[in-house]
This record gives sequence, C-alpha cells and structure tokens, in this order.
Amino acid sequence: MPGTRSNQEWLDALSNQGIQQEIALEELRRLLLRAALFTLVTHLADLHEMPEEERLALAEECAQEAMMTVLVRLGDFRGDSKFTTWAYKFGINIALSRARRWRWKQVSLDDLADDDGTLNWFQRDERLQTADSEQPVRQREVVEVIREVLRTQLTARQRQTLKLIAFDNVPMDVVVQRLDSNRNAVYKLLHDARLKIKQQLVRRGYDLAEVMDLFQ
Amino acid sequence: MVKTNLTKFVRRVHDTRDTEISCSVCLDLVSQYVDLEISTGDAAGKLPQVKQHLDQCQVCSEEYQVLRQLAVLEAEQRLPIDEELINQLKK
Ligand SMILES: [Zn+2]
Repeated sequence: MPGTRSNQEWLDALSNQGIQQEIALEELRRLLLRAALFTLVTHLADLHEMPEEERLALAEECAQEAMMTVLVRLGDFRGDSKFTTWAYKFGINIALSRARRWRWKQVSLDDLADDDGTLNWFQRDERLQTADSEQPVRQREVVEVIREVLRTQLTARQRQTLKLIAFDNVPMDVVVQRLDSNRNAVYKLLHDARLKIKQQLVRRGYDLAEVMDLFQ
Repeated sequence: MVKTNLTKFVRRVHDTRDTEISCSVCLDLVSQYVDLEISTGDAAGKLPQVKQHLDQCQVCSEEYQVLRQLAVLEAEQRLPIDEELINQLKK
C-alpha cells in the first residue's frame, strides 16, 4: 500500500542493497505504473486511435522510463513533498507527453505555418464572432498594436511558436519535438513574446486591466 | 461565454511577469505545490511563482491537474487498483 513508508524509509530502502532494495524497487515500479495508467485513462481522447494492446504497452514503457528518471534524480528529492507525490509527477510527465505526441503524430506542423504574412490567425475567432457587428474601436486598436508587435518585434521563430501553441492549440510537447528543442527553450520564446507585447501596450499608454476587459 | 484563443492570450499577456520560472523549475516544485494544496489549501500563497507558471503553461497545468487528482485519491486512500485502470484503458 503506497503511503505506508515515510520519506526517509523510501530513501533508505532504495539506497540500500539486497532484499529491502528489491522490495522497494518493485513497489516503486508498481507506483509508477499506476501513475502512467491513471494518466492515460484521464486522457483517453489522445489515444482514441491506438489499439488496446498498445495502450497497455505504452503505460508499461512510461513506467519504465519514469523508474529510470526517479532513480537518477533521487538525490534531488528534498523531502518537501511526500515521496510518492514526487515520484508520481515523473510518471505523469512522461505519460502525458507520450500521449500528446501520439495524438499529433499524423499532423504536419508545416500545414500550420505562418506563411501568408497577414497575421490574421491571431484574431480569426473574433472575426467569426463579430462578422455581423462592428468590432469596438478600442478593441480593434489593441489588435493592431499586437499585430504590429508580432510583425516588427518578434523573430520568425517566436511568431511561429506563439501561433502553434497559443492559437492553433498544438501542445508544447509536440512543438518541442518538431523543433528538436526542449520545454524551457520553447517556454522562453513564448514568455519573451508575451513580454514584448505587454511592454508595447504599456508604452503606448494602455491600461492592461482595461485591455483585458475589452476582450472578455 | 466561450473564451477564444485571443481572449485567453490577452489574459496571459496581462498576467505576464518580467521573470517567470521555467517548465523544469515548475516540475521540480509541483509536487510540493500539490501537497501544500492538499494539506493547507494555500499553495498559491506559498509558491506564487508556480501558480503563475501553471496559469501560463498548458502542458504543465495538465500535469499538475493529474498529479493533484492522484495525490488526493492517495490521501483519501481511494487509489484505483491497476486492474480497474487497465479495464478503463481498454475502453
Ligand atoms: Zn511549463
């Protein structure tokens, strides 16, 4: 039963040699398999087209990968959470990442490339919503500021990443995989883009709370 | 009202901070965040930088939500057994 060992007992058992370590490793393996199974069950829509037997194999692979991660990172555990919560997160992180990549594996991101230069993608939903009515003037002004920052102050990579993740709803893990990058680097691209837009709005005298209200 | 991507994005621009933690730091802290939430109910007050990242980052937020569900079930001793999960996975 998980939760019956204290954090220190987990660490001692996993760092020891012999039968105690073997028992702890088996318990950890089961715990991580549960995390992977639970994650995949909560995201079944991502696995819609995956054959049943492959789903179980995927859960086992994720548990195995998480086991290696946990053992490599055991020295990072500071005891500021339960050991089981700390271990579960690696199983969840790996399983969700794999499920997202499976769902998107047939989709070419080239088809979503920002290649027409009009930057209309960032407001296409609004255009649909307001097709029969005039968009309020202030809202349109803000949209123009954002469009200008997108065009003149962001790099092509920042613009493309922002489009894919924030406007095409492509999961970051899929973008990371296709760009052969990592989450931190892609998150930084998004953060820099948001920050530039925010700074430009402030510089032009906009009150950001009011801007947000305009779009609610 | 259904929130459009632009509505969500404008909110994220509004909530942008000069410095934000990375996804790796978020992963490092999220287990502490979840356990604080379960034990004290005030994780956001104690680890505001994690809350800020979770509000900005869809993938980290989804992982946090699953972790929270699992940790709550464990705390309540209601963890599903593997056979149950395997059956659900096959549906
Ligand atoms: Zn993140």
